[in-house]
Amino acid sequence: MNDHDAIRRMLALAAAGALEPDEERRVAAHVQSCASCAAELEEWQIVAGGLRRLPTPQPPASLVERARARAEARLAEEAEYRLHRGVMVFLVFFAWALTLMSWPLVRLVSGGLLGLLDPRLNQAWVGFAAFTTFVWLGGGTAAVLLSLRQRRERSLA
Amino acid sequence: MGPENDVARLRRGDMDALSALISRYQNRLYRYLLRLVREPAEAEDLFQQTWLRVVEKIRSFDPSRNFDAWLFIVARNLAIDRLRRIHPESLDEPILEGFPGGTAMDRLASKEPAAIDRVLERERSSRLTTALTVLPVPYREVLTLRFEEEMKLEEIAQVLGVPLSTVKSRLRRSLEQLRRCLETRYPGESWQ
Repeated sequence: MNDHDAIRRMLALAAAGALEPDEERRVAAHVQSCASCAAELEEWQIVAGGLRRLPTPQPPASLVERARARAEARLAEEAEYRLHRGVMVFLVFFAWALTLMSWPLVRLVSGGLLGLLDPRLNQAWVGFAAFTTFVWLGGGTAAVLLSLRQRRERSLA
Repeated sequence: MGPENDVARLRRGDMDALSALISRYQNRLYRYLLRLVREPAEAEDLFQQTWLRVVEKIRSFDPSRNFDAWLFIVARNLAIDRLRRIHPESLDEPILEGFPGGTAMDRLASKEPAAIDRVLERERSSRLTTALTVLPVPYREVLTLRFEEEMKLEEIAQVLGVPLSTVKSRLRRSLEQLRRCLETRYPGESWQ
């Protein structure tokens, strides 16, 4: 491909302002001496100019208002969802803290202060831990499932 | 002034910022969607879906990035999903150059004006708009991003998810096909 052909292939992009500076300089220099390419570039500039001046279709005002209302409602839902999630996380940690704190209290009541220093895991302690874990796992699973269902319903709404 | 302030406020849940962003981008976004899907009803639905998605995803948006490009990526993903369900073949970039080019759907569309043309003709009947409309999706998309949205090539590459070299080659082929289309549809006439 000679220089003339190479430049000619660049003319569309030149009109689109999509050439590198050195390519632009090559095109500018070439069209100074090549009437055919100068005319071709002018044609491309007409196409490009026409595209830049195309009328902009306006969205209907009712559409914009509908979109705004729906997006605002979704924004409020998202904020509510985040608040609920934060409260739930706090409550879970709070409840676990209470649970853990209750164990030594139970030991204190049932076995006295010295019992706190006893490292042996007696059956009551294991049973209590297992029961608490089971209850929390069950509750947590139910909460997650409910949350997923709520999100799915919201996305379908 | 850029949209950064409104974007930051929206990330904090500010409804006024959301309203400001919708007002700021409503024309550009609607035009882009209309160019992609051609049908006003589809574009209107996608317009609403885009803002819902923006609200859902805004907290994952990196404020150091370009919001314009991010917004158009969100809109584009929704539009492409829609087109993929309706006319999957319309998303193919034509291998052979020349008009009538592209897909069967595009050739059918060129025989009978699409609904978008009727809407646009009410504002201003434009042969150029008609020619643009019958181009395949990848071509009219790159043309609208460059000439109507006036995006930089790097931004277009971001929106389309392709290398810069692909943007340039697609832009050149789009212009060439558009011009062939104009010359074929309106031989010897001034179409400007």
